[in-house]
Amino acid sequence: MKLTRIFLTALLLLSGLYLHAAISNKVTEKVRVAGSAEACKAGIESAAYMRNTAEATWDAATGTALISYDSRKTTLDVILRKIALAGYDNARYLAPDDAYAKLTDCRYPRLVKPAPVASPAIPNAPAVDPLTPVFDAYFALKNALIAADAKAAAAQAATLSKAVKAVNMNELSHASHEVWMKISKDVAFDAEHISETQDVGHQRDHFASLSDDLYTLAKTRKPTQPVYYQHCPMANQGKGANWLSLESAIRNPYYGSQMLTCGKTTETIQ
Amino acid sequence: MNFVKTSIFFGICCFFFASDGLAQKIVRYDLHVRDTVVHFTGKNRRAIAVNGQIPMPTLTFTEGDTAEIYVHNELREETSLHWHGLFLPNRYDGVPNLTQMPIKAGTTHLYRFPIIQNGTHWYHSHTGLQEQIGMYGSMVLNKKQEPEIPTVPVILSEWTDLRPGTVHRMLHNASDWFAIRKGATQSYWEAIRQGYTGTKLRNEWKRMNAMDVSDIYYDRLLINGKNESQLSHFKPGEKVRLRISNGGASTYFWLKYAGGKMTVVASDGNDVEPVEVDRLIIAVSETYDVIVTIPPVTDGQSPVSYEFLATSEDRTRSASLFLGEGIRQLASPLPRLNYFEGMKMMNGMMKMNGDLDAMGMNMSLNQMDMNAVMYPEITGSQRSPGKESGAHDGHAGHTPASITTLNYAMLKATENTSLPQDAPVKEFRFVLTGNMNRYVWSMDNKVVSERDKFLIRKGEKVRLILYNNSMMRHPMHLHGHDFRVLNGKGKHAPLKNVLDIMPMETDTLEFAATESGDWFFHCHILYHMMSGMGGVFSYENSPPNPEIPRPKLARRRLFADDRQFHLMAENDFATNGNDGQAMVQNTRWSIGTEWRLGYNDGHGYETETHIGRYLGKMQWLMPFIGFDWRYRRMGMDVEEKNLFGQRNTKDNRSLLSVGVNYVLPMLFTAQAEVFTNGNVRFQLERQDIPVSPRMRMNLMVNTDREYMAGLRYILSRNTGVSVHYDSDMGLGFGLMVNY
Repeated sequence: MKLTRIFLTALLLLSGLYLHAAISNKVTEKVRVAGSAEACKAGIESAAYMRNTAEATWDAATGTALISYDSRKTTLDVILRKIALAGYDNARYLAPDDAYAKLTDCRYPRLVKPAPVASPAIPNAPAVDPLTPVFDAYFALKNALIAADAKAAAAQAATLSKAVKAVNMNELSHASHEVWMKISKDVAFDAEHISETQDVGHQRDHFASLSDDLYTLAKTRKPTQPVYYQHCPMANQGKGANWLSLESAIRNPYYGSQMLTCGKTTETIQ
Repeated sequence: MNFVKTSIFFGICCFFFASDGLAQKIVRYDLHVRDTVVHFTGKNRRAIAVNGQIPMPTLTFTEGDTAEIYVHNELREETSLHWHGLFLPNRYDGVPNLTQMPIKAGTTHLYRFPIIQNGTHWYHSHTGLQEQIGMYGSMVLNKKQEPEIPTVPVILSEWTDLRPGTVHRMLHNASDWFAIRKGATQSYWEAIRQGYTGTKLRNEWKRMNAMDVSDIYYDRLLINGKNESQLSHFKPGEKVRLRISNGGASTYFWLKYAGGKMTVVASDGNDVEPVEVDRLIIAVSETYDVIVTIPPVTDGQSPVSYEFLATSEDRTRSASLFLGEGIRQLASPLPRLNYFEGMKMMNGMMKMNGDLDAMGMNMSLNQMDMNAVMYPEITGSQRSPGKESGAHDGHAGHTPASITTLNYAMLKATENTSLPQDAPVKEFRFVLTGNMNRYVWSMDNKVVSERDKFLIRKGEKVRLILYNNSMMRHPMHLHGHDFRVLNGKGKHAPLKNVLDIMPMETDTLEFAATESGDWFFHCHILYHMMSGMGGVFSYENSPPNPEIPRPKLARRRLFADDRQFHLMAENDFATNGNDGQAMVQNTRWSIGTEWRLGYNDGHGYETETHIGRYLGKMQWLMPFIGFDWRYRRMGMDVEEKNLFGQRNTKDNRSLLSVGVNYVLPMLFTAQAEVFTNGNVRFQLERQDIPVSPRMRMNLMVNTDREYMAGLRYILSRNTGVSVHYDSDMGLGFGLMVNY
């Protein structure tokens, strides 16, 4: 096996050398390709490159690329589409926004500016509910666990710890107050443990009991937007676990990418 | 359609009659069905065109019209046309050998029915595999008062240069050529390199082959018959209603739009409350009406056109329709699937007996897409090599902003769709079953020819509870009726006639039995349907169908589809002999011969023939009767002894046998066989272990002290090169040819 591979690789390399610069039926065209600086050059040229079929030389000064290609094997359109999909606007195609967003070191001005969109609604006045910071921190923690980002989870749990300490019980409604008396110690305990470890598995164990406590608390308030109580029967070694979310779509904090969509909404608090 | 070589156009003849009294309009179409040659990929291939075009012409009617459609069959074979999603008299439903006899070559057939509904529908051939090669088209039924918005019929389809009959045969013969073309072999080499060795081993332990979301590799995807096209007459700021039908034979399409969200306003021809989504998957044979907006431009700027992108579910190919004029804004393509993550997920869901285990999750209505574990755009980028755990690796921070994907729970009918409370309820429960290895697809492990019709009565409320216990998703389609999808919207449950049901999902549907006659209910993946995945709802005491003069003959012909045998054959022309086999198989039966033919008497010649019947849902067990013949000159008085001390001269032996095959974990086939001379033989064999994307390994050992090991490198669909060592014939190198 190994010998054959080496042999084949050698053969490919040799033939590559032999055929290099041999684009037959060559057509060369000059096309506008957007980019801001030398940093964009490599990206554009590698997006256009196809062995023995197409190559490009991009010039930062003029913002144009000299594209040579084998007119029997491909078309300029195909090459420009590839360049756009790599994030670079050009004469025929505009790059998808997410492809452009990935070009961290080549932030060129887009060829077409998006039309002005209606400005987003002004956020509501600061919440008076003293539990809002607790839930905000909880949701941020949940999102960190969805991403399986232990560092971020620890940081958010620390924020949660602080928020728990800062709650002024006298400002709570009667129902919230009663629940808060029961759970605040456990919430603080779980939050602290999550903040002290970098082990996602351990964090998720605490997150399960934390979620159950905050669910009983959430039931006592009238949220400004619906809160979804969600359940995945496979989490927690098959015992099942719950969490709260602001989105109805399932994004599971117990598995991250492994089983992201496991679960369903069991209750909507609104 | 410049690719159509047939030059004669008959055109669509529409005659409008203002008929007396009723003010009813008769709308007539003449459809001329002809062979044609197309070259979607540059190679000339046979296809079928209607009035010279692929897809077939869009048929437009208005609610209240009467349709008169004359089908002129100018092919050298039978045909038929089914009006998908339409309410019509049973005799015009267009299912050959069920609601009518096939339209014979050279004859004309009239379909005549009143249009009593509105919405986006489509039509297609229901004969054989004709739908795959061009016989699909849009059918638009307008309301008497349509909202004023530009409307475009969009029909999606796919093209393969292989003849559909060949595709069907390859699927039944478990060819993995499509997986090779897709880069979806999921071989051990790839598993080791990507750190999924354990996953792959567990997968084979559970007797699963490579997993995929679709069966067939297609050469081109088409929107309205073109891979790429542009509708440049739309202006910035304009809204457009796309009437989308999936006319593909087996492809689900992801739909995305580069100009923002899409608003879904109807499904299967029935209006729903508008719902905004980022993307949706359209199942085979479904229709959706979607409104998109061409974004406005700032003053003084030139207009931009926006891509409407249809990507196959396996993400190997896509087709584009650009809306508007000017520079083209692309939609971002869907990244390739991470198959090993899907395999891992399947491992978790698969029980050793081949049943699926949803672990207590009540899955339904496409709400939880288990395949999402394979979508890099949802899970973040593919794992770096060598990591078995999904631990934090620096990429995880890029969990994308939530993407809204349509599911059936989001559909809400605009009107009250509830059925009469007092109607008697007839309930059916169907388990969708299947076996990918042998490409058997069924309901309750019975194919169409193996089961009775489902009897219903006019006036009943029929409730269907479907559970998918197979590993593929299935778009189940009911002819002639819309059913309510019970999705938690109460009185406003949406009406559909196709429901996609994913593995492990349970869905409940109900419909009012208001017709008469026989109505097909089947999986709309063409090759699943032809394998027998379906059944017939039959109204009791229906009057005889005038289109079916000989019901018994029709029934036999209908059943012939899934009783069909498929041939496979291969031979290895090796330096030490010929090694090969030929097999014909259908849903339950297998008749196969293996041979080893040396080039001289010392090598010997031998054949083994087995006739067996597959038992059980997973078909792991196959009892058989066999016939062995062998001749080998081994020198005077040389005898071989097997492991049990039984003697065996190999020269000139012909014996009958009975035996049994059983597929073990790791996909080894264990075989026990007793011959008429009293000898017994046990054998273990594993074929086609995927070593690398194109390398396969075969292993065999038995109690006659015979063994064999071989490697094969697949060169093309029909050829390979091999090296193998055989205890009888020694080392050999060969050229493998398979059909």
